[in-house]
Amino acid sequence: MVDHEDVNIYRDLAGGVTSSQLLHGSANPIGGRSAIIKLKWGYPADEMIYDNSPQFIKFALGENVKQSRYQYGVRFPQTRMGVEQVFIDFFSRARDYKDSKGKPDFRYDEEMEVLLDILESKRFVTCHSYVQSEINMLMKVAEDFGFRINTFTHILEGYKVADKMAEHGVGGSTFSDWWAYKYEVNDAIPYNGAIMHEAGVTVAFNSDDAEMSRRLNQEAAKAMKYGAVSEEEAWKFVTLNPAKLLRIDDRTGSIKKGKDADLVLWNAHPMSVTARPQITMIDGIVFFDVERDARFRESVKKERQQLVNEMLKAKNKGLKTQPAKKNEKTLYECDTLHW
Amino acid sequence: MRKLTIVAALIYSMITWAQQTPALAQKGAFTIMNATAHIGDGSVIENSIIVVEDGKITTIADATTVKMQPKGRVIKAEGQHVYPGIIAMNATLGLVEVDAVKASDDEREIGTYNPHVRSVIAYNAESRVVESMRPNGVLMAQIVPRGGRISGKSSVVQLDAWNWEDASLLTDEGVHINWPSSFRRTGSWYNPGPIEPSKDYEKQVRELTDFVNNAKAYNATDSKTGLNLKYAALNDAINGKQTVYFHVDGEKGIRDVLNFINKNSIQRPVLVGAREADKVAKTLVAMKVPVLAGRTHSLPSAEDEDFDLPYKFPKMLVDKGVMVALENSGDMERHQTRNFPFLAGTVAGYGMDMEEALKLITLNPAMILGIDDQYGSLEEGKMATLFISKGNALEMMGNVLTHAFIDGREISLDSHQTELYERYMEKYGLEVKR
Repeated sequence: MVDHEDVNIYRDLAGGVTSSQLLHGSANPIGGRSAIIKLKWGYPADEMIYDNSPQFIKFALGENVKQSRYQYGVRFPQTRMGVEQVFIDFFSRARDYKDSKGKPDFRYDEEMEVLLDILESKRFVTCHSYVQSEINMLMKVAEDFGFRINTFTHILEGYKVADKMAEHGVGGSTFSDWWAYKYEVNDAIPYNGAIMHEAGVTVAFNSDDAEMSRRLNQEAAKAMKYGAVSEEEAWKFVTLNPAKLLRIDDRTGSIKKGKDADLVLWNAHPMSVTARPQITMIDGIVFFDVERDARFRESVKKERQQLVNEMLKAKNKGLKTQPAKKNEKTLYECDTLHW
Repeated sequence: MRKLTIVAALIYSMITWAQQTPALAQKGAFTIMNATAHIGDGSVIENSIIVVEDGKITTIADATTVKMQPKGRVIKAEGQHVYPGIIAMNATLGLVEVDAVKASDDEREIGTYNPHVRSVIAYNAESRVVESMRPNGVLMAQIVPRGGRISGKSSVVQLDAWNWEDASLLTDEGVHINWPSSFRRTGSWYNPGPIEPSKDYEKQVRELTDFVNNAKAYNATDSKTGLNLKYAALNDAINGKQTVYFHVDGEKGIRDVLNFINKNSIQRPVLVGAREADKVAKTLVAMKVPVLAGRTHSLPSAEDEDFDLPYKFPKMLVDKGVMVALENSGDMERHQTRNFPFLAGTVAGYGMDMEEALKLITLNPAMILGIDDQYGSLEEGKMATLFISKGNALEMMGNVLTHAFIDGREISLDSHQTELYERYMEKYGLEVKR
């Protein structure tokens, strides 16, 4: 699915981003498998994905999965109560599926295989979540089935159960300061990251779209404003901590001998609102260079001028013309399809 | 019994979620000593003395050269920074509480032409979103209705009030026109087609022109047969008593708006959003049309545009002499209104001087609104609507407020959010750091 020429990958590189976890929408409690990629813009999609990539799956809780804004909701679940039972049902079936292996009536089932991977801690769960009740619930369900949730994303009420999260060993990947867009983010506070961090949870700041993902350095700085997280720890919210949560911290997330050379050269303190990447490299290869970008701009300008001239010439010759068309990309985010 | 009352009061205060109590009128003078004063007009006083009496700044001077005794309460602010209150233009604060909860949404009226609709009466001064603005230094906002061709009238409010009347600084100051789009997207959401010239554009412009002409004719007639609220509501805008805000993007649209302004002798026009306004900058300067530059934190609209175009766009206009303030309309706009200081900070990252960037959210919007005699900068005689920050307020790292004042009233920097922060830090036995 990855469009390796997507200009937003380039824009992210220009914002100092080198790796991303790609997650689909949040319509269903048990979603699909996700990919962790390096932003090697222009490389074939296969070469962007981490080799020996840790296996992940997306789960979701709350308003989206219970179809809160879908007028004719008929499928189960329509409540958080139902969501719990969906998980219990599927994991129970996965357990039975495991028991049926080697027996004469065994039938291979791709869906069950994936769930089995989760039960056996071979595949890790990234779960879209908001309020404390559902966060608590999923941790309990996981514990009953003998595994743990890897990461709660969004998780704007994580601060209310931060002690329980630390005990479970789940990470929190949250928005720095988003709230007020849904009923379930009523109690979302920008101090969420700081509280979870202080309570011993591994905290990351996530984006939700191509706009915010290209200035995560600014988002990290908000952890210093809200809750006075130290400079070093706040910076980890967008570097080492997400790498840990994605289980790629042996490869990236900090500058260390033996790790991949995924590096950004900034022109100022990277958490300053004025900071701009000068060079962004992945595996030692320069993917963004502010000087090269200036040359790109020149060539785009030249090319445009040339095309305009050709078109004018054609028009003057009396050739057939067509109305001007623009090409703007439609952006999909986790709420585009929601209901 | 008394215990019971206290418990009841506590529970009540927990479930009402009303905002912090608005501050009472200033009593007695106060002086802010030794802070770096960021005036808002581009200048700075490194070591300042600021005296505030009866809600106004009565002295602002360089404390190293002007020797004078502080008056009243002294706020020692050495190493800290004083700024004029930030003005959020083209905002919808107080019109919606929770985006996804329709019952809490008063943002757009149904219908195409609604010049008679007034945002101010729906402005919820007790919105929890509003109180979350103040800890970031956003102290005033222009509240704008959305939707339709003419969405209605905006008002300017201060963000620490009991009710909308109390909040309003400028009532019904402008009319908002959403200029027709000259391009339209084809295809569906799942299979988008190219963006083509809109076939309806000319027709829509004609409709708008007819509407304005009819309103002019209606208001020019003494013997009106029947009342037309919509036409009547345009009278002040036509006569130049109210500002006309044109929400428009793209060079063609902007040129057409400028024609429209000329033809209809619109005396106080402002462009909002105004993508590609840099291509028409000369005319904007000549016609003295200010621009509220569209959201800084956004993506370029076309693939081949510079990746940093939205970041540097305000500077491109300022460099050409255009009067510019920032606006932040778009997705998730309400809660993000508190990020206005950082929008300006980002502009500073793309070549603009930090103090010039500050102007985009203080003095310039005040001038565009015509309230710069009272607000927008730290000057003697102006209202003391200002705040003190531990660091550079346009930096996420530095924007940590210790005090904020609206008309000299020291307002609360607490919110539903800080209360929850403190409650849970206490629960975990952790130290509150505010």
